[in-house]
Amino acid sequence: MTLKQPEFADDILSLFSQRSTQTVDIPVIQPADPFLDMAGEDLRRRIFLTESETGQSLCLRPEFTIPVCLRHIELASGTPQRYAYLGQVFRQRRDGGNEFFQAGIEDLGNADTAAADAAAIMDAGDTLSVLLPGTALATTIGDQTVFEAVVAALGLPDGWQTRLIRAFGDQDQLDALLAGLSQPPIDVPGLDDEAAALLATGDEAGLAALIDTRMTATGYLSNASRTPAEIAGRLIEKARLSSAHLDAKALDVLKTFLALNAPLADAPGALAAFARIAGIDISAALAGFDERVAALKDIGFDASTARYRAAFGRPLDYYTGLVFEVTAQGSVLAGGGRFDRLLTLLGARTAIPAVGFSLWLDRIANMRAQANGGAGR
Amino acid sequence: MSVTIAVPSKGRMKDDATAVFERAGLKIASIGNDRSYRGVLKDMPDVEVAYLSASEIARELGNGGVDLGITGEDLVREDLGAAEEQVEICARLGFGNADVVVAVPEVWLDVDTMADLGDVASHFRSRHGRRLRIATKYWRLTQQFFSAQHGIQVYRIVESLGATEGAPASGQADIIVDITSTGSTLKANHLKVLSDGVILNSEACLVRARSGGRSPEDEAALARIVDSVRGALG
Repeated sequence: MTLKQPEFADDILSLFSQRSTQTVDIPVIQPADPFLDMAGEDLRRRIFLTESETGQSLCLRPEFTIPVCLRHIELASGTPQRYAYLGQVFRQRRDGGNEFFQAGIEDLGNADTAAADAAAIMDAGDTLSVLLPGTALATTIGDQTVFEAVVAALGLPDGWQTRLIRAFGDQDQLDALLAGLSQPPIDVPGLDDEAAALLATGDEAGLAALIDTRMTATGYLSNASRTPAEIAGRLIEKARLSSAHLDAKALDVLKTFLALNAPLADAPGALAAFARIAGIDISAALAGFDERVAALKDIGFDASTARYRAAFGRPLDYYTGLVFEVTAQGSVLAGGGRFDRLLTLLGARTAIPAVGFSLWLDRIANMRAQANGGAGR
Repeated sequence: MSVTIAVPSKGRMKDDATAVFERAGLKIASIGNDRSYRGVLKDMPDVEVAYLSASEIARELGNGGVDLGITGEDLVREDLGAAEEQVEICARLGFGNADVVVAVPEVWLDVDTMADLGDVASHFRSRHGRRLRIATKYWRLTQQFFSAQHGIQVYRIVESLGATEGAPASGQADIIVDITSTGSTLKANHLKVLSDGVILNSEACLVRARSGGRSPEDEAALARIVDSVRGALG
C-alpha cells in the first residue's frame, strides 16, 4: 500500500483552516502509557509497541486525540482552542493496511457545548461532502448523557447505574446486565461467618477493622492497593446492589429506550414522548439534546440524512455526551464525540470540555477512486 | 520427506508424554545418548522426535516447524495468535491438568465475580491515581477474558515471568492471572479464585500443525500416530 499522503490532504487542511483551527504537528513516536491507560490493555494487541533504551514503552501513534490533548496540557496554551491535524496513524488491523491517514479537529474548552457539538458534526459532514461530491452520506448520533439520565431515573443504586453506563455501546454486555437485573435478589456469596455477621448489622467500621487485621496477619500492605475502608465500603454497597433488581416495567422502559431510532429532526419529539409515557423525568438531559439539534439547524446542517439511535455509544470511560459517525455505503468515514473527562484523566488541572472527530482518509480515498473509475467508463 | 514430533524435554511432562507414546506402541529411541535432544520412533524411523521446552513446542507448532507435538493447552492458546487456524488439538491426554485463573487477595471480601472486579477496575483510577494492575505471563488470555468476554477495558498488565502469586502481597500488582493445579500456592499466598474466574481448564494435548503441503506419506504417518495415541487413551 502506498504511504503517500492522499492527494486531497491539502484540500482538507485548507478547509479546516477556514474553520478557525490551528494545525498541529504530532510526533509519530509517542509514549505508550497514555494510550494503554485510557483505552485499556485491549489496545496493546493493536498498536506497534517498542521500548526505549531506558525501558520506557513507546509506540507509533495509534490516533491523534490523546497526543493533541497531551500537547495542549503541556503547552498550557489556554482555552478555547481548535486544533486540526492530518497524518499517518499505525494500528494492526485484520482488514486494511496497518498504516493509514487520519485527519480531524479537536475543539477544546468551548463552554457552549451545544454549539461545539454542532460544529464538530457540521465540520465532519461538510469536509466529506467536499471530498465526495454526490455520495450519499448518513450521520448517526448517540448521546451518553441521555442514556445516563434514563438509567438514573429508574431509581437503581449507584453501583448498578455505573455498571450499565460502563456497558453503554456494548450490546452484549448490556444484554447480560439487563438479564442479571431482572433476576430476583441474591445474597452476597463467598463470605465467612465473621464478615457475614458484621455485614448483616451494617457495621462498616467493624468490617474495615477486620480486613485491616487480616491484611496485617497475611503480610499484605494496607496502602499499596485497595484499603480496608474501601473494601468494607464496597461490601456494604454490594449488599445493597444485590438486593436491587429491576421490575418488569422498569426493564421495559430501558429496553424501549435502547430501541429508539428516529430521524434527528423527530428525535426531540420522540424522546419527550418516551419520557412522558415512561413517566420519568429526564428533562435536563433532553434540554441539552434539543439545544444541540437547534444549534445544528442554526448553522444550516441538513438533518434529513441524520438519525438518532439511543443505543449508539462507545464503552470507554472518557466519553461523556455526544457520539456520532458518518457513513457512506456502510463504511464509517468519520467518527467523533465529546470527551469532557479525557483532559483531567490525562493530567489537566481544571476540567476542559472537549469534542472532536476524525476522518478515515484511506476509506475516503477508496470511495473517491470508485467514483472516478465509474465516471471514466 | 519426513515428519517431526515434539515432546517436552524435561520433568513430569516428559515422563508422562513418553509413557503415552509407549502405551500407544510408539517407542522412542534416542539418537546418541539418553540425554540427547533428538530421537526417532523405533517402528517408524522416518518420524523424527525433537525434545523441546513446552512453550517452544507451542511456538513451533504455530509456525509449522514441527508437525505434531505434546504441550499444554494454555501455551497453545497463549502463544498462538490464531490457534484455531494454526493448529488442531487431536487428543486431550489427561495429564498436566491445571487451570488458568483470575485470583484476587482473600481480603477483598467484596469481590467474588468478574462483575465485582469490573466495578473495582472502573473506580480504580479515581481512587488510586492509576489503573488496576494484573500480574501475569498470560497477556493474550487475560486480554481476551477481561476485554472481550467480560467487557472490562480499564486495567494494566504487569508482565510476570515467575512467582506471580507473590505480586499482590508485595505491591507489584493488585491481582493475578496464573496457572494452578491444586490451588495450594494461591492459598498459601492468601489469594482466592473468583467464582467465574476460570479462564481455561488446561491439560497436556496432542496438537497437530495445520501446515499445508505435506506429502501423502507424511499425512499417513501423522494419522497413524494420532490414531495410536487416541486408541491408547481408551
